[in-house]
Amino acid sequence: MESNKKYWKGLEELNNTPEFVELNKHEFAEPVPIEEVLSGTGLTGKTPRRNFLKSVGFGIGAVSLAACQRAPVHKSIPYLIKPEEVTPGVANFYVSSFEGQAILVKTREGRPIKIEGNPGDLFGQGGISSQAQASLLGLYDTSRLKGPMQDGGDTGWNPLDSFVKAELAAIKASGKQIRLVTNSINSPSTLGVIAAFAAEYPTTKHVTYDAVSYTGIIQANQNSFGKAVLPHYRFDKADIIVSFGADFLGSWISHSEFTRQYVTKRNEAAVKSGKMSRHIQFESGMSLTGSNADVRIPIKVSQEGLALVNLYNEITGTTLPGSKKLGNNIADNAIMLAAKQLAAAKGRAVVVSGSNDVAVQILVNAINSALGSYGNTIDLDNPSYQYKGNDADLVALVEEMKRGDVGAVFFLDANPVYNFYQSSAFADALKKVRLRVSFAPYNDETAAACNIVAPNHHFLESWGDENAVEGFYTLIQPTINPVYDTRKAEQSLLVWSNNAVKDYYTFVRNTWNNGILAKGGLAGQNGWDTLLQDGFIKVAEKPATPVTFSRDLNAVAQTILAQGNKLTGGEGKLELQVYENTSVGDGKYANNPWLQELPEAVSKVTWDNFAAIAPKTAEELKLEEGDLIKITANGYSTELPVLLQPGQAQGTVSVALGYGRTKAGKVGDGVGKNAYPFLALTNGTFQGNAVATIEALGGDKVVLAQTQTHGSYEGRDIIRETTLQEYLKKSEEKDHGHGEHEKKQTYDLWEAYDRPQYDWVMAIDLNACTGCGACVVACNVENNIPVVGRDEVRRRREMHWIRIDRYYSFDEKGKTVTEEKEIDKLEDLDHVSVTYQPMLCQHCDHAPCETVCPVLATTHSSEGLNQMTYNRCVGTRYCANNCPYKVRRFNWFNYWNDSRFENYLQNDYTELVLNPDVTTRFRGVMEKCSMCVQRIQAGKLNAKLQKRSLNDGDIKMACQQTCSANAIIFGNKNDPNSEVSKALKSDRTYYVLEELNVQPGIGYQTKVRNRLTTEA
Amino acid sequence: MASHSESIIREPLITGKNITYAQITNEVLAPVENKPNMAWWIGFVLSVIGASIWLFSISWTFWYGIGEWGLNKTVGWAWDITGFVWWVGIGHAGTLISAVLLIFRQNWRNSINRSAEAMTIFAVICAATYIFGHMGRVWLAYWTLPLPNQFGSLWVNWNSALMMDVFAISTYFSVSLVFWYTGLLPDIASIRDRATGLRRRIYSIMSFGWTGSVKTWQRFETVSLILAGISTPLVLSVHTIVSFDFATSLEPGWHTTIFPPYFVAGAIFSGFAMVQTLLLIARKVLGLENYITMFHIESMNKIILLTGSVVGVAYITEFFIAWYSGVEYEQYAFINRSTGPYWWAYWSMMTCNVITPQLFWFKKIRINIPLSWILSIIVNIGMWFERFVIIVTSLHRDFLPSSWVMFYPTWTDVGIFVGSIGFFFVMFLLFLRVLPSVAMAEVKLLVKTSSEQAKKKLIDEGHLDPTHVDDYVKALEKYDSVDLTQYHKA
Repeated sequence: MESNKKYWKGLEELNNTPEFVELNKHEFAEPVPIEEVLSGTGLTGKTPRRNFLKSVGFGIGAVSLAACQRAPVHKSIPYLIKPEEVTPGVANFYVSSFEGQAILVKTREGRPIKIEGNPGDLFGQGGISSQAQASLLGLYDTSRLKGPMQDGGDTGWNPLDSFVKAELAAIKASGKQIRLVTNSINSPSTLGVIAAFAAEYPTTKHVTYDAVSYTGIIQANQNSFGKAVLPHYRFDKADIIVSFGADFLGSWISHSEFTRQYVTKRNEAAVKSGKMSRHIQFESGMSLTGSNADVRIPIKVSQEGLALVNLYNEITGTTLPGSKKLGNNIADNAIMLAAKQLAAAKGRAVVVSGSNDVAVQILVNAINSALGSYGNTIDLDNPSYQYKGNDADLVALVEEMKRGDVGAVFFLDANPVYNFYQSSAFADALKKVRLRVSFAPYNDETAAACNIVAPNHHFLESWGDENAVEGFYTLIQPTINPVYDTRKAEQSLLVWSNNAVKDYYTFVRNTWNNGILAKGGLAGQNGWDTLLQDGFIKVAEKPATPVTFSRDLNAVAQTILAQGNKLTGGEGKLELQVYENTSVGDGKYANNPWLQELPEAVSKVTWDNFAAIAPKTAEELKLEEGDLIKITANGYSTELPVLLQPGQAQGTVSVALGYGRTKAGKVGDGVGKNAYPFLALTNGTFQGNAVATIEALGGDKVVLAQTQTHGSYEGRDIIRETTLQEYLKKSEEKDHGHGEHEKKQTYDLWEAYDRPQYDWVMAIDLNACTGCGACVVACNVENNIPVVGRDEVRRRREMHWIRIDRYYSFDEKGKTVTEEKEIDKLEDLDHVSVTYQPMLCQHCDHAPCETVCPVLATTHSSEGLNQMTYNRCVGTRYCANNCPYKVRRFNWFNYWNDSRFENYLQNDYTELVLNPDVTTRFRGVMEKCSMCVQRIQAGKLNAKLQKRSLNDGDIKMACQQTCSANAIIFGNKNDPNSEVSKALKSDRTYYVLEELNVQPGIGYQTKVRNRLTTEA
Repeated sequence: MASHSESIIREPLITGKNITYAQITNEVLAPVENKPNMAWWIGFVLSVIGASIWLFSISWTFWYGIGEWGLNKTVGWAWDITGFVWWVGIGHAGTLISAVLLIFRQNWRNSINRSAEAMTIFAVICAATYIFGHMGRVWLAYWTLPLPNQFGSLWVNWNSALMMDVFAISTYFSVSLVFWYTGLLPDIASIRDRATGLRRRIYSIMSFGWTGSVKTWQRFETVSLILAGISTPLVLSVHTIVSFDFATSLEPGWHTTIFPPYFVAGAIFSGFAMVQTLLLIARKVLGLENYITMFHIESMNKIILLTGSVVGVAYITEFFIAWYSGVEYEQYAFINRSTGPYWWAYWSMMTCNVITPQLFWFKKIRINIPLSWILSIIVNIGMWFERFVIIVTSLHRDFLPSSWVMFYPTWTDVGIFVGSIGFFFVMFLLFLRVLPSVAMAEVKLLVKTSSEQAKKKLIDEGHLDPTHVDDYVKALEKYDSVDLTQYHKA
């Protein structure tokens, strides 16, 4: 269609002026100077040859120089095809199981980076131990074997399989014995695999032993009640707990579970209602449990049996033959009172003993039976399968091997060359065995003595299952492809036994399909899928069947008393007790730097074991802290530095197991001294008590790497403690309006900040905290906290963002002594009370650190957090000096890129454990607790994505989450209904150093001891 | 000034017979215009060795990190800030002498101000090395300056005493430098006039075209007075602000309002001690006995006695206030200072700073050169301990006993401190070689009025009260540079 419209470009065109017509004739309105260009200097102008060469030379030179810099090659594989379940930046959680405990494994982009408790877990109900937290690092440990080994050299799985199969066939033909040595296994599938293996090779016998043995309890139950089991203890049902050397909060059987149970009777609700449990501990070494007891009576190792006999006498009103008083008024008196209180709380009492002596445990059974504990505080019908070892079996194996009866021996999770008390005898006997196979993931002491090492997967790489307590089944699922060329031990056994099922995963599925799933009301693929989400199956508890103790105790008492006499130290001799400590445990985790650097709960020593001696005893022996002594007992001697331990029974010395590994790996080798050879086979079980001679070696003192060296709190108001009686009296007065109504006037130099939405605060219950240190490891893992090693801890430079302060106070004639100069005057340091105080950044509203930073690197957030901006920090350390809590940590070195620290976390594999949400800090910057700000942000984001407001409990701090005792509560103070607001309303709440008006954000709840003045 | 004769009772500031302007120039410029002697070379080599230790230690620290020092999680400052405050304190005497004494018309300052100011500048440079050295990330030191930047709107924290420190020190340094250099101009011109060749050209540039005209002199006097006016408050402000580093914190033992006056007194105390240490030797080695006389030495000893006593009172007041405050942390901090594990540091400080300077009540000791020198060294040691006591013994045991630690220095700590002394002397010895160590122009002002020869002339003229003359002659007895025979035979 034609249009009549005419578009014009300008008025000239519209008017069609003559100029326009003229100009419009040419293509360009203005003349183009083409001629000028062509004839001028434009083209004829010379480019001088030299200039050309110069530019070319410079260009090539510059490019080549730039190319000389070798650009680092980062091998990374992008998600060209994104796996459906992986979103970069979003964590996936998988259920799994650690030592029978249901856990969640947090993975990021396919790497497991954190282990968290499964809230439905039977044991910790979301809380897990420091070992469980730290076990993650084992996955990436570069000391692990990278592949199978034969005769000390590398090999492949196929040649290894054919070799082992041929050997086994030959051994089978010769009729020689086959032994499978393991620690306690409660996995139904593994036990199934072993049974199948034994079916193929009928001479196979499964030998179970545990480095720290509980055979005594198991056999005592067999003897007393005909049930060879480890009972399931229920401290949550006990109003009175009397323990003889059982460190049930620190290392005994199921300590993180016991912690949870124990604290339910000691938390805010229990204290408020006045129904707090009473815990009396008789022990020689100062254990974590003893340090938490309401009343702790130090008694000698040799007197533990006698004390139990006396307790039995007091409770039942009988007198066993040979009974006599301890000769220690305080202890005798305490036994009498304990007996009274136990008897008054029948059915709500429990007596436990840490002894591995069958006779002692029979007597304990008799006491518990008299107290009606069975079916109440002790469950024999739903027993624990955590420990099943039989010490005699291992001893028998040595004899068999010596005789040359054994053709093949397999070691699964067992390291007897290290932790058997006669390790050299074991190693010698082992040499007579034709086929020696270790499944150890490390070339450990036992693996080194084997001709085949078939390294096992880390549990995070493999399928599996566990059944730690009757009726509680947990599933292990892989969370990452195997990091190294390892293979699940069960898989190896299946292959070697020519099993019809070639694949362990199928084997596990079959095991669950044939019975376990049904127990949980599940079936088929759906049931399996549900299991993969829940992680466990819990079957209703079996009802208690009544048991009565009816054995004659005369012979038992004789054995106990005779044993006690044997242990009595003479002149210049001490009674030795070996124990398992709270950080490194039995030595299995010796190569874990997180655990090595976790201060042992009571002594605060890292990276070493030591000889703990009472200060009074040391004085008598003319020993001082750090003196090197030679301890000789049971034909073994070793040299250890002395640690003066208040509360240690006089005349005794305690040494921790789990140290002195020689083939643990880069980290654990040569840390401390081995104490296993101090054990002895006594009355059929391994026992760690002996009479030791002590010899001072002189020479330089050893400085132990302690994170805390001053033990008393100098009477300062930083620790508040009271007794239950006192507390109840005060709170009643307050309820009637007689209490203190102190209205404090506070002053502000600056205008208060607005906290429009959130005010993040924390409440820490000193009465719930047992001081175990799981929070410290959890924080290390969550926040990429460097491990600095023994020397740096000695220089007092550990980097932990949260620490557990441990304070001693002493009870002298009804008075509490806390000041150093008065403590120095005390006769002995036996009667010590311990308070633990988790200390971390208090996120003060008037933060002293914030005002002094010259560059504003630490500032306050609108949510009440004290924030540290690493990138802005120039490292003057003024903030750390001005922090009254001394919680700020300075990066003295470049821990992530300094060869001196590479043993710990700094290598290609272990760096994979880093939490990508938290930056690693460079040298020269300050760091400190961020209140897991990454978790707060993630929680807020998650709520936003779900288009809802943030709920209380959505965000949990790493320390809070792992705490079985639930001692730490985090939340929003602006919400009056939040858990933390409620907790802070407790009349026990106080703020540390609140008199400085720094307005800290963490409220502590006063420690309450359920102690009568007559007891202490 | 020349028209009036100074009272005969005043002791002479220049001794010697037949002192002429030319003689002053010759004597003062002798080390500048001649090859150095053996003593200088020995001193210089030792200082260079010291400076090398410093260079090595500080490089080591920068390479590996602050962890090479003995610091830990509780004690975040120790030898670094001790050294910093010690050097800043030493740097106080120069400005006090040049500015405050100028305003108070204390002419005796004319002989010592040049060296004292040089010492100030070098001491402040040494102090500055610690400011940089103690930073964890020294390459970002410029972040402490309020520079416009593209990091967002990042600014500095004016609440922080460290921030104030940056300004206090840099202001003090720049003003001192300008004051010192302005005073040098006529003297540099004298060197220029006597030099030839390249030296002449260099000194010519350095003299800023000094002509020596009356107008130049007049302007010179005016500028000196103005700069003195500006510098005087700085003498008080610098150490006041340095003391804020501690006083504005809440550490027990630091959080003290007495700190500003106490620090200033301590700074003057240590500054004069350091001037004594240097000049007693320089006077001998460079042959300046006629210009730096016993009167100067005694005057400085009197100031040391006064400020040492002020510091002593401050120590005692601190203790009293700690008790009187009723704050247990404060009380513990002070009991711990005197009886805790660092008791020896505290008592070294008390002995060196409070007790031994009291010996200066005795005139015999005040005018005894070896004893004066030893006591000045003791004061320097005592003042180092003062800062160590304040910093380390306050930090090592503060509020929570769980964090109580001990501090042990490493070789790097020691190397940096000892090395900084070497570094200081390298600078000072080079100064003696290239610039006049006595302000010639200002000393020449005194020849006509305050010199021994001028006074001798007055005595010889015989119009004076004989008792005054007797007093004067008696006062001359302490001078080691005066020949008394000429007075006695008269």
